[in-house]
Formats: sequence, C-alpha cells, structure tokens
Amino acid sequence: MASSHLAGDVCDAAAKETRRSIWSGVLAGVGLVAFIDETVFHQLLHWHHFYGKSTPAVGLVSDGLFHAGGFIAMVAGLFLLADAHRRGGFVPKRWWGGLLLGAGGFQLYDGIVQHKLLGLHQIRYHVTLWPYDLTWNLIAAVMIAAGAALMTGRAGVTGSAMFRSDAGTAA
Amino acid sequence: MPLALTLLAAVGYGLAWYRLSRRGHRWPARRAACMLAGSLCVGIALLPPLASHDDRFEVHVIQHLLLAMAAPAFLALSAPATLALRTLPRRARRALLRVLHSPAVSVLTAPATAVTLDLGGLYVLYLTGLYQATERDSVIHAAVHLHMFLAGCLLSWAVIGIDPIRRRPGTRGRLAALVIAAAGHDTLAKLMYAWMPPAGGGPAAGRQLEAELMYYGGTAIDVALAVIVMTQWYLAAGRALARTRRRSAVAGP
Repeated sequence: MASSHLAGDVCDAAAKETRRSIWSGVLAGVGLVAFIDETVFHQLLHWHHFYGKSTPAVGLVSDGLFHAGGFIAMVAGLFLLADAHRRGGFVPKRWWGGLLLGAGGFQLYDGIVQHKLLGLHQIRYHVTLWPYDLTWNLIAAVMIAAGAALMTGRAGVTGSAMFRSDAGTAA
Repeated sequence: MPLALTLLAAVGYGLAWYRLSRRGHRWPARRAACMLAGSLCVGIALLPPLASHDDRFEVHVIQHLLLAMAAPAFLALSAPATLALRTLPRRARRALLRVLHSPAVSVLTAPATAVTLDLGGLYVLYLTGLYQATERDSVIHAAVHLHMFLAGCLLSWAVIGIDPIRRRPGTRGRLAALVIAAAGHDTLAKLMYAWMPPAGGGPAAGRQLEAELMYYGGTAIDVALAVIVMTQWYLAAGRALARTRRRSAVAGP
C-alpha cells in the first residue's frame, strides 16, 4: 500500500471504528429497552398485558417486530461490542451515546406510537394514566438528549482492560 | 414422514462419517452431534409419549417448536450436503452439485421464500379451519407436520446453514430474515391468543396459555438462532482480521 494513501486510510479506519461503536450502542440500547419492557413490566410487575382486547392487528405486528427485533438487536449489539474491543477500536463515549439514543428512541416509539396511536396496551391498568405516560416519555426524552450530547465533541478510542493486557488509552 | 426422512438422513450421515474417517479425513464431531440432536428433536416430537397426546393443543405447540424450529436448526448446522459432497462417488456428487446449484434450489432457499413458506403455512394452519381438519384427518395431519418440518429446514438453511448454496445473503440479510420470521411468529401467537377459531384445541383459557408458550418458546429459539448467526459472523470477521494483520506484519511499517 502506497504511503500517500496512509493518512486517508487512518482517517477512514477511525471513522469506521466510531460508526461501529455507535451502531453497537444503538442496537444494545434498543435491546435493553425491549428486555426491561418484557421482564420488568410484563413479567415482574404485570402492569403491561400480554394482549389488550382492543388492539388492532397493526399494533400486534408492530409489537411482534419490536419484541423479536429487540432481543435480536441486543445479541447483534453485544457481538459488535466484542468485535470493537478485539480490533482495539472501541469508542466508549460514542457507544454510550448510541445506547442512549437507541434506548430513548425505542422508548419514545413505544410510549407514543405503540401505547397511544396503535392502542397496544397501556402502561398500567385501573389507575390515573397520565402521570405514567408523562414519566415514560419524559425518561425517553432525557435519554435522547443525553445521547445526542454524547454524540458531540471529541471522543477517543480506548483499549479495553477486559480484553487486552496492555490496557490504556491508544488514541 | 419427517421421522422417516430424518432416520434415513441420520443413518446415511453416520455411514458417510465412518467412510470419511476410514479414509483418514477428519469431520468435526460437533457437526455429527448436531445431526444427532436434530434427529432426537424429531423423534421426541413424533414418537410416544408426546405423539400419543397430540390431540391436545399444548402438545401440538411443543411439537411445533421441536419439529419446525429446533430440529431444523440442528440439522442445518450438521452440514449434511457438505458431508455428502465429500463422500459420494463422483457421478452422484456431480448430480448433487447440479441440484444444489440449480435455480430452483436458489429460489427455495432464498430467505424471502423460506420466510413466506414458513409463516404462510403457520398462519393458514392456525387462523383458518386447517388445524381443526388435522384433528379429524390423519393424512392432513401428516401433511401439516411434513410442511412445518420442511419449511423450518428451508428457513434454517437460509439463515444459519453452512452447506454450499448459491447466493447466500450476508449477515445483515440473514438477521433481517430472522427478525421478520420471529416477528411473524410472535404476532401469530398473539392472534391465536385473541381469536383462534374456538372449535378445536380445548377451552379458551388453555389456548391462551399455549399461545404464550408458543410466543416465549419461539422467542427463546429465535434468540439462539441470532447468537448462531452472530457467532458465525464473529469467527469469519476474526479470520479476516488475522489475515489483514499477518499481511501488514509481513509488509512492514
């Protein structure tokens, strides 16, 4: 490889690694919300119902997509994370930014489109609903804002203490 | 039918494995273990004690999970076509290769076809009167089992298979196919929960429990499939990375 291409290659590689970290975070974030939704709200608290009697079919399709897609996104996100560490190209700040954007985006979609527009199921039954809806969507908005903040400014690559013995900053 | 097919495949697989090792070639034991596990899943699904109760809907759901999802996944990972290509006599091998590379097989194993056949069959089975018909007619019953098994095999081969088929999609395409198949499966389980024709399959409360069994059982298997797809990707990417590093080490700074 000719040396005149080297600087460009390094830049490309850094951008690629940043993109990898962001996507890993976004997928893990979507998966995290899907996982919390299923375990905490469906299984532990029993606030959410498996099926709301008035749910239209489009709501079921959307729910199926995000239930299945969420778990698969988590798997893919974690494998991408392991890959980023293996390459020594993990960008923690962007990963957390991606995670918060993915989690907040999905939570907002769940709170507004699935719960309200598609009438999937409510957050909780037999209670005054609006404080729950407000808290739900507010948390989503805060996550999105924090994620967006982490997407700006400088961010360095970190060698991982988990995977490499010569752990340290290498950017 | 699926039972006879699997038995035949397992025996043939064992013979081929034996032949290969007699020639001094190695064949990964984990692939043989996958063939064994897949055959076991089919056997458990279609032999007593499960089969003698398959008029009960919960037994049918367990059969569905074993026959259409778990067994095909194991069988796809056992790479039977690869083994056959390595052990068959030359003429038979050419014929098999022609079949594997034929346009028909390419179309059948395309993820879109596999997902359509798999989900389509399930929706027709549970949301029309077909399931009720299987309770009355043993031929329809056997045909439904065969379709579930074969469609499951197509999907598994398309998503996690390691046999040489043409135009296998990349990791993203396979994950997308998996998400669509899993989402369709989840949606169907909820539709069954809500309004499966109540003529068959026992009382409504039982049917709802079974819909949840199908929903969560299906999710567990789909997540396992995603782990397999990503493991295959991770190992391949690791090999590519090692190659690049070797090359740049040889080329020098």
